[in-house]
Amino acid sequence: MEVEQVANLKTKGSFSKLYTWLPIILLFVSVLNEFDFNYLKLEYFSFNFPFILIFFFTLKDFKHFDYLFVFFAGLLNDTVIGLPLGISSLSYTLICIATAYIRNITIRPSPMKDWFYFLFIISLINSLNYSVLTLFFSYDLVLTSYLVNTTCTFLLYIIFVSIFKYYMKGIND
Amino acid sequence: MASSRDDFIIAIRSAFLKKSTQQKFSLLTLVFISIFIILLSSLDFKAVRYLKAGLSEVVYRSSFIVSIPENFVRNSFINIIEYTTFFNRYQNNRDELDKLKSDFVSNEIIQYENQELKVLIDDYISSSNKILAKIIVDHDSPFLKSIIINKGSKDDIKIGTNIYDQSYLVGRVIEVNYKTSRVLLLSDLNSNVPVTIAPQNIQAIVTGSGDNFGQIKYIKAGLSEELVDESIVYTSGTGAIFKSGVPIGKLRSKKDGSSNRYDVEFYSDFTQLKYVFAETITQIEIPQVEPEIVPIEDKSEELEESKLKILEDELKIIEETNSKFIEENENLTSEINDLNNQISVLNNEIFLQKQKINQFNLDTQELEFLKLNLEHGHKCRKSFFNADGFNVGTEEYKSCVLNGGRTGG
Repeated sequence: MEVEQVANLKTKGSFSKLYTWLPIILLFVSVLNEFDFNYLKLEYFSFNFPFILIFFFTLKDFKHFDYLFVFFAGLLNDTVIGLPLGISSLSYTLICIATAYIRNITIRPSPMKDWFYFLFIISLINSLNYSVLTLFFSYDLVLTSYLVNTTCTFLLYIIFVSIFKYYMKGIND
Repeated sequence: MASSRDDFIIAIRSAFLKKSTQQKFSLLTLVFISIFIILLSSLDFKAVRYLKAGLSEVVYRSSFIVSIPENFVRNSFINIIEYTTFFNRYQNNRDELDKLKSDFVSNEIIQYENQELKVLIDDYISSSNKILAKIIVDHDSPFLKSIIINKGSKDDIKIGTNIYDQSYLVGRVIEVNYKTSRVLLLSDLNSNVPVTIAPQNIQAIVTGSGDNFGQIKYIKAGLSEELVDESIVYTSGTGAIFKSGVPIGKLRSKKDGSSNRYDVEFYSDFTQLKYVFAETITQIEIPQVEPEIVPIEDKSEELEESKLKILEDELKIIEETNSKFIEENENLTSEINDLNNQISVLNNEIFLQKQKINQFNLDTQELEFLKLNLEHGHKCRKSFFNADGFNVGTEEYKSCVLNGGRTGG
Protein backbone atom coordinates (compact mmCIF):
# COMPACT_ATOMS: atom_id res chain seq x y z
CA MET A 1 0.00 0.00 0.00
CA GLU A 2 2.78 2.39 0.97
CA VAL A 3 4.81 1.42 -2.07
CA GLU A 4 1.81 2.15 -4.25
CA GLN A 5 1.42 5.60 -2.67
CA VAL A 6 5.09 6.36 -3.18
CA ALA A 7 4.84 5.28 -6.81
CA ASN A 8 1.76 7.48 -7.28
CA LEU A 9 3.57 10.42 -5.75
CA LYS A 10 6.58 9.80 -8.00
CA THR A 11 4.38 9.65 -11.12
CA LYS A 12 2.53 12.76 -10.01
CA GLY A 13 5.86 14.49 -9.35
CA SER A 14 7.32 13.76 -12.78
CA PHE A 15 4.03 14.69 -14.43
CA SER A 16 3.86 18.03 -12.62
CA LYS A 17 7.52 18.66 -13.53
CA LEU A 18 6.69 18.09 -17.18
CA TYR A 19 3.62 20.26 -16.74
CA THR A 20 5.69 23.17 -15.42
CA TRP A 21 8.10 22.86 -18.34
CA LEU A 22 5.22 22.71 -20.83
CA PRO A 23 5.50 26.33 -22.14
CA ILE A 24 9.17 25.97 -23.05
CA ILE A 25 8.53 22.53 -24.59
CA LEU A 26 5.67 24.05 -26.57
CA LEU A 27 7.98 26.86 -27.70
CA PHE A 28 10.55 24.38 -29.06
CA VAL A 29 7.86 22.25 -30.69
CA SER A 30 6.31 25.30 -32.32
CA VAL A 31 9.61 26.58 -33.74
CA LEU A 32 10.55 23.15 -35.04
CA ASN A 33 7.09 22.45 -36.38
CA GLU A 34 5.99 25.91 -37.54
CA PHE A 35 2.67 25.48 -35.77
CA ASP A 36 0.67 27.85 -37.99
CA PHE A 37 -2.18 25.94 -39.74
CA ASN A 38 -0.83 26.89 -43.18
CA TYR A 39 -2.17 23.63 -44.60
CA LEU A 40 -5.74 24.88 -44.09
CA LYS A 41 -5.08 27.06 -47.15
CA LEU A 42 -6.89 30.03 -45.68
CA GLU A 43 -5.80 32.83 -47.91
CA TYR A 44 -3.35 35.20 -46.23
CA PHE A 45 -3.86 33.48 -42.87
CA SER A 46 -0.69 33.06 -40.83
CA PHE A 47 0.30 33.87 -37.29
CA ASN A 48 3.35 33.74 -35.11
CA PHE A 49 2.69 31.45 -32.17
CA PRO A 50 6.16 31.81 -30.56
CA PHE A 51 5.61 35.58 -30.27
CA ILE A 52 2.41 35.04 -28.25
CA LEU A 53 4.01 32.37 -26.09
CA ILE A 54 7.15 34.36 -25.33
CA PHE A 55 5.28 37.59 -24.70
CA PHE A 56 2.82 36.02 -22.29
CA PHE A 57 5.20 33.89 -20.24
CA THR A 58 7.98 36.44 -19.99
CA LEU A 59 5.43 39.07 -19.01
CA LYS A 60 4.27 36.77 -16.24
CA ASP A 61 7.94 36.13 -15.37
CA PHE A 62 7.30 32.39 -15.50
CA LYS A 63 10.13 30.69 -13.69
CA HIS A 64 10.78 27.89 -16.20
CA PHE A 65 10.81 30.22 -19.16
CA ASP A 66 14.53 30.89 -19.38
CA TYR A 67 15.79 33.64 -21.72
CA LEU A 68 18.59 31.34 -22.85
CA PHE A 69 16.05 28.76 -24.05
CA VAL A 70 14.15 31.51 -25.83
CA PHE A 71 17.39 32.53 -27.50
CA PHE A 72 18.09 28.92 -28.64
CA ALA A 73 14.51 28.59 -29.86
CA GLY A 74 15.20 31.61 -32.07
CA LEU A 75 18.27 29.90 -33.54
CA LEU A 76 16.22 26.77 -34.29
CA ASN A 77 13.50 28.85 -35.90
CA ASP A 78 16.03 30.53 -38.20
CA THR A 79 17.45 27.17 -39.22
CA VAL A 80 14.02 25.67 -39.94
CA ILE A 81 12.70 28.66 -41.90
CA GLY A 82 15.99 29.33 -43.67
CA LEU A 83 16.56 32.84 -42.39
CA PRO A 84 20.05 34.14 -41.55
CA LEU A 85 21.03 32.79 -38.13
CA GLY A 86 20.31 35.13 -35.23
CA ILE A 87 17.38 37.08 -36.68
CA SER A 88 14.67 35.28 -34.72
CA SER A 89 16.87 35.11 -31.61
CA LEU A 90 17.16 38.89 -31.72
CA SER A 91 13.39 39.23 -32.22
CA TYR A 92 12.59 36.93 -29.32
CA THR A 93 15.12 38.63 -27.06
CA LEU A 94 13.63 42.02 -27.93
CA ILE A 95 10.21 40.73 -26.87
CA CYS A 96 11.76 39.63 -23.59
CA ILE A 97 13.24 43.12 -23.11
CA ALA A 98 9.88 44.73 -23.87
CA THR A 99 8.03 42.52 -21.40
CA ALA A 100 10.69 43.09 -18.74
CA TYR A 101 10.26 46.82 -19.25
CA ILE A 102 6.45 46.71 -19.09
CA ARG A 103 6.67 44.55 -15.95
CA ASN A 104 8.88 47.14 -14.32
CA ILE A 105 6.64 50.09 -15.11
CA THR A 106 3.27 48.44 -14.49
CA ILE A 107 1.74 48.68 -11.07
CA ARG A 108 -1.74 47.43 -11.88
CA PRO A 109 -1.70 44.95 -14.84
CA SER A 110 -4.51 45.19 -17.38
CA PRO A 111 -5.07 42.51 -20.07
CA MET A 112 -6.33 45.13 -22.52
CA LYS A 113 -3.21 47.27 -22.12
CA ASP A 114 -1.04 44.19 -22.48
CA TRP A 115 -2.87 43.27 -25.68
CA PHE A 116 -2.26 46.61 -27.38
CA TYR A 117 1.25 46.74 -26.04
CA PHE A 118 1.74 43.33 -27.68
CA LEU A 119 0.52 44.78 -30.99
CA PHE A 120 3.01 47.63 -30.71
CA ILE A 121 5.90 45.28 -29.91
CA ILE A 122 5.24 42.73 -32.66
CA SER A 123 4.72 45.50 -35.23
CA LEU A 124 8.05 46.99 -34.22
CA ILE A 125 9.84 43.63 -34.34
CA ASN A 126 8.31 42.59 -37.65
CA SER A 127 9.29 45.96 -39.14
CA LEU A 128 12.82 45.46 -37.88
CA ASN A 129 12.89 41.92 -39.30
CA TYR A 130 11.58 43.10 -42.66
CA SER A 131 14.10 45.95 -42.83
CA VAL A 132 17.10 43.80 -41.88
CA LEU A 133 16.16 41.02 -44.32
CA THR A 134 15.48 43.32 -47.26
CA LEU A 135 18.25 45.87 -46.68
CA PHE A 136 21.14 43.72 -45.44
CA PHE A 137 20.32 40.29 -46.86
CA SER A 138 18.53 41.35 -50.10
CA TYR A 139 15.53 39.10 -49.48
CA ASP A 140 12.39 39.70 -51.54
CA LEU A 141 9.51 39.70 -49.08
CA VAL A 142 5.83 40.55 -49.34
CA LEU A 143 4.98 43.36 -46.94
CA THR A 144 1.29 42.38 -47.00
CA SER A 145 2.14 38.94 -45.59
CA TYR A 146 3.94 40.61 -42.68
CA LEU A 147 0.98 42.92 -42.04
CA VAL A 148 -1.51 40.04 -42.16
CA ASN A 149 0.74 37.94 -39.94
CA THR A 150 0.98 40.77 -37.39
CA THR A 151 -2.79 41.32 -37.42
CA CYS A 152 -3.63 37.61 -37.06
CA THR A 153 -1.07 37.20 -34.27
CA PHE A 154 -2.57 40.21 -32.50
CA LEU A 155 -6.14 38.90 -32.85
CA LEU A 156 -5.28 35.37 -31.74
CA TYR A 157 -3.31 36.63 -28.74
CA ILE A 158 -6.42 37.09 -26.63
CA ILE A 159 -7.64 33.54 -27.35
CA PHE A 160 -4.30 31.95 -26.49
CA VAL A 161 -3.96 34.12 -23.39
CA SER A 162 -7.22 32.74 -22.01
CA ILE A 163 -5.89 29.21 -22.56
CA PHE A 164 -2.55 30.10 -20.93
CA LYS A 165 -4.34 31.64 -17.97
CA TYR A 166 -6.17 28.38 -17.47
CA TYR A 167 -2.81 26.62 -17.51
CA MET A 168 -1.35 29.12 -15.01
CA LYS A 169 -4.33 28.53 -12.74
CA GLY A 170 -3.60 24.81 -12.90
CA ILE A 171 0.02 25.45 -11.90
CA ASN A 172 -0.92 27.68 -8.96
CA ASP A 173 -3.48 25.16 -7.71
CA MET B 1 9.55 65.70 -15.39
CA ALA B 2 13.04 64.71 -14.33
CA SER B 3 11.76 61.99 -12.03
CA SER B 4 9.64 60.39 -14.80
CA ARG B 5 12.70 60.33 -17.06
CA ASP B 6 14.69 58.71 -14.24
CA ASP B 7 11.94 56.10 -13.82
CA PHE B 8 12.08 55.33 -17.54
CA ILE B 9 15.85 54.97 -17.48
CA ILE B 10 15.70 52.79 -14.38
CA ALA B 11 13.02 50.58 -15.97
CA ILE B 12 15.01 50.25 -19.21
CA ARG B 13 18.25 49.52 -17.37
CA SER B 14 16.50 46.97 -15.24
CA ALA B 15 14.93 45.33 -18.31
CA PHE B 16 18.26 45.10 -20.10
CA LEU B 17 20.65 44.21 -17.34
CA LYS B 18 18.82 42.69 -14.39
CA LYS B 19 18.92 38.94 -14.22
CA SER B 20 16.11 37.21 -12.39
CA THR B 21 17.02 34.41 -10.04
CA GLN B 22 16.24 31.87 -12.74
CA GLN B 23 18.02 33.64 -15.61
CA LYS B 24 21.61 32.79 -16.46
CA PHE B 25 22.22 35.59 -18.97
CA SER B 26 21.12 39.23 -19.03
CA LEU B 27 19.03 40.21 -22.04
CA LEU B 28 21.64 42.72 -23.18
CA THR B 29 24.19 39.90 -23.46
CA LEU B 30 21.75 37.85 -25.52
CA VAL B 31 21.05 40.83 -27.82
CA PHE B 32 24.78 41.25 -28.43
CA ILE B 33 25.21 37.52 -29.07
CA SER B 34 22.30 37.61 -31.56
CA ILE B 35 23.82 40.55 -33.45
CA PHE B 36 27.21 38.82 -33.42
CA ILE B 37 25.68 35.65 -34.89
CA ILE B 38 23.84 37.66 -37.58
CA LEU B 39 27.13 39.32 -38.56
CA LEU B 40 28.96 35.98 -38.61
CA SER B 41 26.31 34.30 -40.75
CA SER B 42 26.39 37.20 -43.22
CA LEU B 43 30.20 37.03 -43.51
CA ASP B 44 30.08 33.39 -44.64
CA PHE B 45 33.24 32.02 -43.00
CA LYS B 46 34.13 28.40 -43.64
CA ALA B 47 33.92 27.48 -39.96
CA VAL B 48 30.54 29.16 -39.64
CA ARG B 49 29.35 27.36 -42.75
CA TYR B 50 30.30 23.96 -41.31
CA LEU B 51 28.74 24.86 -37.97
CA LYS B 52 25.57 25.95 -39.70
CA ALA B 53 25.48 22.75 -41.79
CA GLY B 54 25.90 20.64 -38.62
CA LEU B 55 23.19 22.56 -36.83
CA SER B 56 20.88 22.30 -39.84
CA GLU B 57 21.43 18.55 -40.00
CA VAL B 58 20.29 18.10 -36.39
CA VAL B 59 17.49 20.66 -36.56
CA TYR B 60 15.98 19.30 -39.78
CA ARG B 61 15.84 15.78 -38.38
CA SER B 62 14.35 17.07 -35.11
CA SER B 63 11.86 19.13 -37.06
CA PHE B 64 10.86 16.05 -39.04
CA ILE B 65 10.24 14.05 -35.86
CA VAL B 66 8.39 16.89 -34.14
CA SER B 67 6.24 17.45 -37.25
CA ILE B 68 4.98 13.84 -37.34
CA PRO B 69 1.75 14.52 -35.38
CA GLU B 70 0.96 17.69 -37.34
CA ASN B 71 1.80 15.97 -40.61
CA PHE B 72 -0.57 13.18 -39.65
CA VAL B 73 -3.37 15.69 -39.07
CA ARG B 74 -2.50 17.51 -42.27
CA ASN B 75 -2.37 14.35 -44.36
CA SER B 76 -5.69 13.16 -42.94
CA PHE B 77 -7.23 16.52 -43.79
CA ILE B 78 -5.85 16.37 -47.35
CA ASN B 79 -6.97 12.74 -47.75
CA ILE B 80 -10.53 13.59 -46.77
CA ILE B 81 -10.62 16.38 -49.35
CA GLU B 82 -9.07 14.10 -51.99
CA TYR B 83 -11.60 11.29 -51.46
CA THR B 84 -14.48 13.60 -52.27
CA THR B 85 -13.15 14.22 -55.77
CA PHE B 86 -11.65 10.78 -56.24
CA PHE B 87 -13.83 9.38 -59.04
CA ASN B 88 -13.75 12.46 -61.27
CA ARG B 89 -10.02 12.67 -60.90
CA TYR B 90 -9.67 8.98 -61.74
CA GLN B 91 -11.51 9.45 -65.03
CA ASN B 92 -9.52 12.54 -65.91
CA ASN B 93 -6.30 10.76 -65.06
CA ARG B 94 -7.20 7.80 -67.25
CA ASP B 95 -7.80 10.06 -70.25
CA GLU B 96 -4.64 11.95 -69.56
CA LEU B 97 -2.65 8.73 -69.24
CA ASP B 98 -3.69 7.59 -72.71
CA LYS B 99 -2.59 10.90 -74.15
CA LEU B 100 0.66 10.83 -72.23
CA LYS B 101 1.51 7.35 -73.42
CA SER B 102 1.43 8.50 -77.02
CA ASP B 103 3.39 11.64 -76.15
CA PHE B 104 5.99 9.59 -74.36
CA VAL B 105 6.94 7.67 -77.51
CA SER B 106 7.52 10.84 -79.53
CA ASN B 107 9.43 12.28 -76.59
CA GLU B 108 11.82 9.37 -76.53
CA ILE B 109 12.47 9.78 -80.24
CA ILE B 110 13.27 13.45 -79.72
CA GLN B 111 15.65 12.60 -76.91
CA TYR B 112 17.56 10.15 -79.07
CA GLU B 113 17.72 12.70 -81.88
CA ASN B 114 18.98 15.31 -79.47
CA GLN B 115 21.71 13.00 -78.25
CA GLU B 116 22.78 12.20 -81.80
CA LEU B 117 22.90 15.87 -82.72
CA LYS B 118 25.01 16.68 -79.69
CA VAL B 119 27.49 14.04 -80.76
CA LEU B 120 27.56 15.57 -84.24
CA ILE B 121 28.43 19.06 -82.98
CA ASP B 122 31.22 17.71 -80.76
CA ASP B 123 29.37 18.81 -77.65
CA TYR B 124 29.14 16.87 -74.45
CA ILE B 125 26.51 14.37 -73.35
CA SER B 126 25.15 15.05 -69.93
CA SER B 127 24.37 11.84 -68.20
CA SER B 128 21.80 12.61 -65.59
CA ASN B 129 20.96 10.50 -62.64
CA LYS B 130 17.74 11.18 -60.82
CA ILE B 131 17.75 10.39 -57.14
CA LEU B 132 14.52 9.97 -55.25
CA ALA B 133 14.43 12.23 -52.20
CA LYS B 134 11.92 12.46 -49.41
CA ILE B 135 10.69 15.81 -48.16
CA ILE B 136 11.34 15.88 -44.46
CA VAL B 137 10.33 19.46 -43.69
CA ASP B 138 7.71 21.45 -45.59
CA HIS B 139 6.18 24.21 -43.55
CA ASP B 140 4.67 26.19 -46.41
CA SER B 141 5.73 29.44 -44.79
CA PRO B 142 3.97 32.55 -46.13
CA PHE B 143 7.32 34.36 -46.29
CA LEU B 144 9.78 31.87 -47.75
CA LYS B 145 8.80 28.98 -49.98
CA SER B 146 11.33 26.21 -49.40
CA ILE B 147 11.44 22.53 -48.52
CA ILE B 148 14.04 20.28 -46.91
CA ILE B 149 14.94 16.96 -48.58
CA ASN B 150 16.76 13.98 -47.09
CA LYS B 151 19.63 13.99 -49.59
CA GLY B 152 22.80 16.01 -49.27
CA SER B 153 26.42 16.25 -50.30
CA LYS B 154 26.76 12.53 -49.48
CA ASP B 155 24.47 11.81 -52.44
CA ASP B 156 26.26 14.20 -54.84
CA ILE B 157 23.73 16.99 -54.34
CA LYS B 158 25.27 20.38 -55.05
CA ILE B 159 24.07 23.96 -54.79
CA GLY B 160 21.98 24.54 -57.91
CA THR B 161 20.92 20.91 -58.37
CA ASN B 162 17.56 20.87 -60.17
CA ILE B 163 14.66 19.30 -58.30
CA TYR B 164 11.73 17.68 -60.07
CA ASP B 165 8.28 16.37 -59.33
CA GLN B 166 7.99 13.61 -61.95
CA SER B 167 9.35 15.49 -64.97
CA TYR B 168 8.21 18.95 -63.87
CA LEU B 169 10.61 21.44 -62.39
CA VAL B 170 10.03 22.25 -58.73
CA GLY B 171 13.06 24.32 -57.76
CA ARG B 172 16.76 24.19 -57.07
CA VAL B 173 18.99 23.43 -54.13
CA ILE B 174 20.24 26.52 -52.27
CA GLU B 175 21.79 24.95 -49.19
CA VAL B 176 23.56 21.61 -48.92
CA ASN B 177 24.35 19.74 -45.72
CA TYR B 178 25.80 16.24 -45.40
CA LYS B 179 22.52 14.34 -45.52
CA THR B 180 19.94 17.08 -46.06
CA SER B 181 19.42 20.01 -48.45
CA ARG B 182 17.16 23.04 -48.70
CA VAL B 183 15.29 23.51 -51.97
CA LEU B 184 14.08 26.94 -53.03
CA LEU B 185 10.71 26.42 -54.73
CA LEU B 186 9.80 28.18 -57.97
CA SER B 187 6.98 29.95 -56.13
CA ASP B 188 9.40 31.79 -53.81
CA LEU B 189 9.81 35.51 -54.41
CA ASN B 190 13.57 35.05 -54.69
CA SER B 191 13.29 32.44 -57.46
CA ASN B 192 14.03 33.54 -61.04
CA VAL B 193 13.97 31.05 -63.91
CA PRO B 194 14.84 31.85 -67.55
CA VAL B 195 12.10 30.31 -69.67
CA THR B 196 10.86 29.89 -73.23
CA ILE B 197 7.17 30.28 -73.98
CA ALA B 198 5.95 27.93 -76.69
CA PRO B 199 4.70 27.95 -79.41
CA GLN B 200 5.50 31.67 -79.76
CA ASN B 201 9.14 30.98 -78.84
CA ILE B 202 9.39 34.01 -76.57
CA GLN B 203 12.15 34.27 -73.97
CA ALA B 204 11.24 35.54 -70.50
CA ILE B 205 11.93 35.17 -66.78
CA VAL B 206 9.50 33.53 -64.38
CA THR B 207 9.68 34.81 -60.83
CA GLY B 208 7.87 33.41 -57.83
CA SER B 209 4.94 35.33 -56.44
CA GLY B 210 5.07 34.05 -52.88
CA ASP B 211 1.84 32.22 -53.75
CA ASN B 212 1.29 29.00 -55.71
CA PHE B 213 1.93 30.55 -59.12
CA GLY B 214 4.70 32.35 -60.96
CA GLN B 215 4.78 35.63 -62.84
CA ILE B 216 6.20 36.38 -66.27
CA LYS B 217 8.68 39.22 -66.01
CA TYR B 218 11.41 40.90 -68.05
CA ILE B 219 9.73 40.19 -71.36
CA LYS B 220 10.77 42.21 -74.41
CA ALA B 221 8.41 45.13 -75.10
CA GLY B 222 5.76 44.34 -77.69
CA LEU B 223 6.12 40.57 -77.39
CA SER B 224 3.56 40.29 -74.61
CA GLU B 225 0.79 40.90 -77.17
CA GLU B 226 1.68 37.58 -78.81
CA LEU B 227 1.18 35.61 -75.61
CA VAL B 228 -1.97 33.50 -75.34
CA ASP B 229 -3.52 31.41 -72.61
CA GLU B 230 -2.46 27.77 -72.29
CA SER B 231 0.95 28.46 -73.85
CA ILE B 232 3.55 26.07 -72.46
CA VAL B 233 6.33 27.49 -70.30
CA TYR B 234 9.56 25.51 -70.11
CA THR B 235 13.12 26.24 -69.06
CA SER B 236 15.33 27.81 -71.72
CA GLY B 237 18.59 26.82 -70.05
CA THR B 238 19.94 30.36 -70.33
CA GLY B 239 22.59 31.00 -67.72
CA ALA B 240 23.07 27.25 -67.22
CA ILE B 241 21.31 27.37 -63.84
CA PHE B 242 18.47 25.17 -65.00
CA LYS B 243 18.56 22.39 -67.57
CA SER B 244 16.84 23.37 -70.81
CA GLY B 245 13.51 21.98 -71.98
CA VAL B 246 12.04 21.14 -68.59
CA PRO B 247 8.31 21.91 -68.38
CA ILE B 248 7.25 24.35 -65.68
CA GLY B 249 3.62 25.28 -66.25
CA LYS B 250 0.97 26.86 -68.40
CA LEU B 251 0.41 30.53 -69.13
CA ARG B 252 -2.64 32.33 -67.75
CA SER B 253 -3.42 35.94 -68.56
CA LYS B 254 -5.19 38.16 -66.07
CA LYS B 255 -6.52 41.69 -66.43
CA ASP B 256 -4.50 44.03 -64.26
CA GLY B 257 -5.98 47.49 -64.74
CA SER B 258 -5.51 48.58 -68.33
CA SER B 259 -2.82 46.01 -69.10
CA ASN B 260 -2.65 42.22 -68.98
CA ARG B 261 -0.67 40.33 -66.35
CA TYR B 262 0.74 36.94 -67.26
CA ASP B 263 0.94 34.24 -64.60
CA VAL B 264 2.33 30.75 -64.80
CA GLU B 265 0.20 27.99 -63.36
CA PHE B 266 2.75 25.39 -62.25
CA TYR B 267 2.19 21.82 -63.42
CA SER B 268 3.23 20.58 -60.01
CA ASP B 269 1.30 21.37 -56.83
CA PHE B 270 4.05 22.35 -54.40
CA THR B 271 1.82 21.93 -51.38
CA GLN B 272 1.27 18.23 -52.13
CA LEU B 273 4.87 17.17 -52.57
CA LYS B 274 6.01 14.10 -50.66
CA TYR B 275 8.86 12.84 -52.79
CA VAL B 276 10.93 14.66 -55.37
CA PHE B 277 13.73 13.79 -57.78
CA ALA B 278 17.12 15.45 -57.51
CA GLU B 279 19.01 15.37 -60.78
CA THR B 280 22.75 15.03 -60.47
CA ILE B 281 24.41 15.78 -63.78
CA THR B 282 27.81 14.62 -64.94
CA GLN B 283 29.18 15.89 -68.24
CA ILE B 284 30.81 13.27 -70.41
CA GLU B 285 33.11 14.79 -73.01
CA ILE B 286 32.90 13.11 -76.39
CA PRO B 287 36.34 11.62 -77.07
CA GLN B 288 38.13 13.41 -79.91
CA VAL B 289 39.77 11.15 -82.53
CA GLU B 290 43.49 11.66 -82.08
CA PRO B 291 45.46 12.01 -85.37
CA GLU B 292 48.18 9.40 -85.88
CA ILE B 293 51.72 10.63 -85.32
CA VAL B 294 53.70 10.42 -88.61
CA PRO B 295 57.53 10.75 -88.92
CA ILE B 296 58.70 14.15 -90.26
CA GLU B 297 60.51 12.77 -93.41
CA ASP B 298 57.29 11.16 -94.68
CA LYS B 299 55.30 14.28 -94.19
CA SER B 300 56.24 16.10 -97.48
CA GLU B 301 55.46 13.01 -99.58
CA GLU B 302 52.15 12.57 -97.84
CA LEU B 303 51.40 16.24 -98.39
CA GLU B 304 51.98 15.94 -102.17
CA GLU B 305 49.97 12.77 -102.31
CA SER B 306 47.10 14.38 -100.53
CA LYS B 307 47.33 17.41 -102.88
CA LEU B 308 47.24 15.09 -105.90
CA LYS B 309 44.32 13.28 -104.43
CA ILE B 310 42.48 16.54 -103.96
CA LEU B 311 43.23 17.55 -107.57
CA GLU B 312 42.06 14.17 -108.86
CA ASP B 313 38.90 14.54 -106.88
CA GLU B 314 38.39 18.04 -108.27
CA LEU B 315 38.92 16.74 -111.83
CA LYS B 316 36.48 13.97 -111.26
CA ILE B 317 33.91 16.44 -109.99
CA ILE B 318 34.44 18.74 -113.02
CA GLU B 319 34.09 15.81 -115.46
CA GLU B 320 30.94 14.68 -113.78
CA THR B 321 29.51 18.20 -113.95
CA ASN B 322 30.49 18.48 -117.60
CA SER B 323 28.75 15.27 -118.59
CA LYS B 324 25.71 16.46 -116.71
CA PHE B 325 25.76 19.75 -118.67
CA ILE B 326 26.04 17.88 -122.00
CA GLU B 327 23.18 15.64 -121.10
CA GLU B 328 21.08 18.62 -120.10
CA ASN B 329 21.99 20.38 -123.35
CA GLU B 330 20.82 17.42 -125.45
CA ASN B 331 17.62 17.25 -123.54
CA LEU B 332 17.02 20.95 -124.12
CA THR B 333 17.68 20.66 -127.90
CA SER B 334 15.18 17.84 -128.29
CA GLU B 335 12.70 19.84 -126.26
CA ILE B 336 13.18 22.86 -128.60
CA ASN B 337 12.58 20.63 -131.68
CA ASP B 338 9.41 19.27 -130.17
CA LEU B 339 8.23 22.76 -129.43
CA ASN B 340 8.93 23.93 -133.02
CA ASN B 341 6.91 21.01 -134.40
CA GLN B 342 4.09 21.90 -132.10
CA ILE B 343 4.21 25.54 -133.33
CA SER B 344 3.96 24.51 -137.04
CA VAL B 345 1.01 22.24 -136.30
CA LEU B 346 -0.69 25.04 -134.49
CA ASN B 347 -0.02 27.49 -137.36
CA ASN B 348 -1.68 25.08 -139.84
CA GLU B 349 -4.65 24.78 -137.58
CA ILE B 350 -4.93 28.58 -137.39
CA PHE B 351 -4.78 28.91 -141.20
CA LEU B 352 -7.53 26.30 -141.69
CA GLN B 353 -9.70 27.98 -139.11
CA LYS B 354 -9.21 31.38 -140.78
CA GLN B 355 -10.29 29.88 -144.14
CA LYS B 356 -13.37 28.40 -142.53
CA ILE B 357 -14.25 31.75 -141.00
CA ASN B 358 -13.90 33.54 -144.40
CA GLN B 359 -16.07 30.92 -146.11
CA PHE B 360 -18.64 31.28 -143.41
CA ASN B 361 -18.70 35.08 -143.85
CA LEU B 362 -19.15 34.71 -147.65
CA ASP B 363 -21.94 32.22 -147.20
CA THR B 364 -23.69 34.54 -144.78
CA GLN B 365 -23.50 37.49 -147.27
CA GLU B 366 -24.77 35.26 -150.09
CA LEU B 367 -27.67 34.06 -147.99
CA GLU B 368 -28.59 37.64 -147.12
CA PHE B 369 -28.49 38.65 -150.83
CA LEU B 370 -30.69 35.69 -151.85
CA LYS B 371 -33.25 36.59 -149.17
CA LEU B 372 -33.37 40.25 -150.34
CA ASN B 373 -33.38 39.13 -153.98
CA LEU B 374 -36.56 37.17 -153.40
CA GLU B 375 -38.13 40.19 -151.76
CA HIS B 376 -36.85 43.07 -153.92
CA GLY B 377 -35.49 41.37 -157.06
CA HIS B 378 -38.50 42.33 -159.21
CA LYS B 379 -37.96 46.02 -158.38
CA CYS B 380 -34.37 45.98 -159.64
CA ARG B 381 -34.65 43.64 -162.62
CA LYS B 382 -34.79 45.34 -166.07
CA SER B 383 -38.10 44.51 -167.84
CA PHE B 384 -40.69 45.94 -170.08
CA PHE B 385 -42.41 47.64 -167.19
CA ASN B 386 -39.22 48.57 -165.36
CA ALA B 387 -36.96 50.43 -167.74
CA ASP B 388 -34.86 51.82 -164.84
CA GLY B 389 -33.89 48.34 -163.74
CA PHE B 390 -30.58 46.54 -164.15
CA ASN B 391 -29.46 43.40 -165.80
CA VAL B 392 -29.36 40.42 -163.44
CA GLY B 393 -25.85 39.55 -162.28
CA THR B 394 -24.44 43.08 -162.55
CA GLU B 395 -22.96 44.97 -159.60
CA GLU B 396 -25.68 47.66 -159.91
CA TYR B 397 -28.39 44.97 -159.65
CA LYS B 398 -26.71 43.56 -156.60
CA SER B 399 -26.43 46.94 -154.85
CA CYS B 400 -30.08 47.71 -155.80
CA VAL B 401 -31.23 44.44 -154.15
CA LEU B 402 -29.09 45.11 -151.07
CA ASN B 403 -30.57 48.67 -150.83
CA GLY B 404 -34.03 47.18 -150.70
CA GLY B 405 -35.04 47.86 -154.37
CA ARG B 406 -34.00 51.53 -154.45
CA THR B 407 -32.38 52.21 -157.80
CA GLY B 408 -31.13 55.72 -157.23
CA GLY B 409 -28.64 57.04 -154.62
